[in-house]
Amino acid sequence: MKIIEKIKTNKSIDNQTEIQKICLDKLQSRPLPNPESEQWRLSNKSKFLNFLDYSVNEKDPKFDTPFPNTSQNTIRLVIGDICQIDLIDKNYSIKQLSEDKLVKYIKEQISFFDQNENWSDLLNLSLNCTKNTLGLKISGSKIPPIEIFSHASSNSLNAKTLVIFLEKNCDIDLLQVNLGKDNSSLSQSTFFCLEENSSVNHGVVSYGENKSNLLNSLNVIQQKNSEYNLGSLHFKFNYARFEIRIKQSEGNAKTNIKGMQITKKDEQISTYTKIDFHGPNGFLDQINKSLADDKSHAIFEGSIIVPKIAQKTNASQLSRNLLLSNRAQIDTKPQLEIIADDVKCKHGATITQLNEEELFYMRTRGITLTEASKLQLSSYFQEIISFIPISKERWDLLDKLLNEN
Amino acid sequence: MVNENLVKDVVKEPYKYGFVTDIETEKIEKGLNEDIVRLISQKKEEPKFLLDFRLKAFRKWQKMKEPDWAALGYKKIDYQDIIYYSAPKQKEKISSLDEVDPKLLETFDKLGIPLTEQKKLTNVAVDAVFDSVSIATTFREELAEHGVIFCSISEAVKNHEDLIEKYLGTVVPASDNYFAALNSAVFSDGSFVYIPKGVTCPMDLSSYFRINSGDSGQFERTLIIAEESSSVSYLEGCTAPMFDTNTLHAAVVELIALDDASIKYSTVQNWYAGDEKGIGGIFNFVTKRGKCLGKRSKISWSQVETGSAITWKYPSCLLLGEESVGEFYSVALTNNLQQADTGTKMIHIGPKTKSTIVSKGISAGNSKNSYRGLVKMGTKATGSRNYSQCDSMLIGDQASANTFPYIKSQQPNSEIEHEASTCRISEDQLFYLQSRGIEFEEAVSMMVSGFCRDVFNQLPMEFAAEADKLLALKLEGSVG
Repeated sequence: MKIIEKIKTNKSIDNQTEIQKICLDKLQSRPLPNPESEQWRLSNKSKFLNFLDYSVNEKDPKFDTPFPNTSQNTIRLVIGDICQIDLIDKNYSIKQLSEDKLVKYIKEQISFFDQNENWSDLLNLSLNCTKNTLGLKISGSKIPPIEIFSHASSNSLNAKTLVIFLEKNCDIDLLQVNLGKDNSSLSQSTFFCLEENSSVNHGVVSYGENKSNLLNSLNVIQQKNSEYNLGSLHFKFNYARFEIRIKQSEGNAKTNIKGMQITKKDEQISTYTKIDFHGPNGFLDQINKSLADDKSHAIFEGSIIVPKIAQKTNASQLSRNLLLSNRAQIDTKPQLEIIADDVKCKHGATITQLNEEELFYMRTRGITLTEASKLQLSSYFQEIISFIPISKERWDLLDKLLNEN
Repeated sequence: MVNENLVKDVVKEPYKYGFVTDIETEKIEKGLNEDIVRLISQKKEEPKFLLDFRLKAFRKWQKMKEPDWAALGYKKIDYQDIIYYSAPKQKEKISSLDEVDPKLLETFDKLGIPLTEQKKLTNVAVDAVFDSVSIATTFREELAEHGVIFCSISEAVKNHEDLIEKYLGTVVPASDNYFAALNSAVFSDGSFVYIPKGVTCPMDLSSYFRINSGDSGQFERTLIIAEESSSVSYLEGCTAPMFDTNTLHAAVVELIALDDASIKYSTVQNWYAGDEKGIGGIFNFVTKRGKCLGKRSKISWSQVETGSAITWKYPSCLLLGEESVGEFYSVALTNNLQQADTGTKMIHIGPKTKSTIVSKGISAGNSKNSYRGLVKMGTKATGSRNYSQCDSMLIGDQASANTFPYIKSQQPNSEIEHEASTCRISEDQLFYLQSRGIEFEEAVSMMVSGFCRDVFNQLPMEFAAEADKLLALKLEGSVG
């Protein structure tokens, strides 16, 4: 609770920026999220307190990216490690957002915040200094794939913020990698704004080490005719929360989400999603898969909100869960809140174990039980992982990581 | 759109059970305190254990907070502004139906519930509850021949004290929730059913609840015990007159099924729902729960919820016995400004337990209709299965339909499946039916009835027909 104590007394958070001040004020009145609220009800309290029990790290040690550089023309950025970015090609431009614009945009976002729902963002913004904030404005076409790294260092709490503006008619592949370290907490908040006709394939891969914690919050605003595709994977965290809030501000936009979380030992990983349709003809296809083993706990909670204005919305949400051990737990709660009448909305949820018939079939063909289960699991992963925009070299690495896990 | 308006016209049938019976009643003063609880107990000449049960519940209730998690909005209930006991005045003891006030019999006749035993056309035994007390129970002798006990709960307290003491509050403990605690403290009457070992109840049993006075709440309690290898089908109906005040109804229903026993509990709830502007109507806060204690026991809930301004109701099953089965079939219809937050809880505790949930919600007007359900697989529920299906139909663009399924599993060797969908009555379908010469209203009613078919199939014969008609009436004028 070191952090909260500090927030309460406002000590040692020096040289506060304007945004830090606003967020600190908000947090001071109610420093912790309401444990009885739907969003925090299932969160493991002691693990959550452990997240808060580190002191803030503002200096970044040397960072070795775990993914080797590839021959491909990939743009690689590390939050907290960048001086000035100005990439201008004849087809595209990637520029750093000016501080004024960045502050203005974040302030505007804060005005829509709900103390409980956006608690992770409030914490992130109140701890984060300018150095650990990356704001990008991307326009043009034929943009090479972008990779952005956020990393924690041991024995500290690290807050990183990413703001991305995607201009009209722009189209990108973006892979965001969040890396946890031994005994560390990482708070990552991402704000994504997609203008008209833009499209993004967004990958979020987060993995930690022993006793890593993560609060990952993703806020997306989609303008008309934009397309947002998200593939995400979270694993190897003692405690992790992935919060996704997507708003189709005028409808007529497409959202595809494929997420996966893997929990082992006594880990707890949860995914919360809230998809808000603020206009007609919205489209959503979401699938979230969890795999819980040992004594771990996997949580999924997703809501789809379709107000009166969002006629002709077509939304579907599926939560698929594999429970592999007697002591593991899975909670899932897909929910629909609908007012518009001319809509197609559906959701589904299943909790099962590995398919015995398939296992039996493979074994009759001479494949061992372990191998057969591995095969089944990898096919279970495949649907999600193939959706993450990731190059061949990265893919091998990820495969290796998953196998180790 | 022409059709939209037409559909809206189809739902405006006035509430036909809205009359008030002018009858002399005995009421106690408004308000709730320990003395009132003692007074109710004294009036009913209850044994000490029951008074203790009430007082304990009351003390717990005082410390509890009214739940606010449901997707409902209603003005605060003033619990001190309610009369907790109201009974039609009558002679000390009634030995036969002839002595019941003819006005009361007339009331039930008007509601279509024949209490006089000459009208044995329908083979259903009825327990009629008017405000706080049970008026009459029919077919008692015939049931007694089979050893079936069917009487009001106050009579059961006098004649079968041991059974009441053994089972009351074992399924829904007094401290279970705010409304259950309130009910445990002040419950006035209700039905008691006991089916002995090996008996299949020879006829359907039924309770008919009628609220008559506008300022008294109704707090009834139903307890059904099915011994080994027995079975029973129980029906429940509810109506109330139209008042422009809100009346509180907080009931508790407890079902216990032992080895190989089966209980089927069906409800058609048609309390007064308030007018188009949302004035008046019943606040319906009900705790219904069944315990499948025995091996291979089965509890099946089916409900048609069309009335009440506010519905807060989650009939649940605790599946303890090996291979026990829980079922929930529900149709909830809301119109105008009605709000319903209803669903079920299936708690799988024993191994190889199975549950099925089929819920159909229809929302019209400015109403709000939410399904809220919990499916939980405990650590010992190996080989258990659940299947849930929740469909919503939206009529008009002002009504809301929400689905909140809570799913929790701690047992890898079990399967849970849940699916939900939303639809509306499409223009194409209406056009097709109309092009075949079917009137618009009939087409709408056919489609609604088709939508609810899975649930209606589970209702007993008499109820199914009634429910179909009820929905058609309620929906008249609101499809779009």
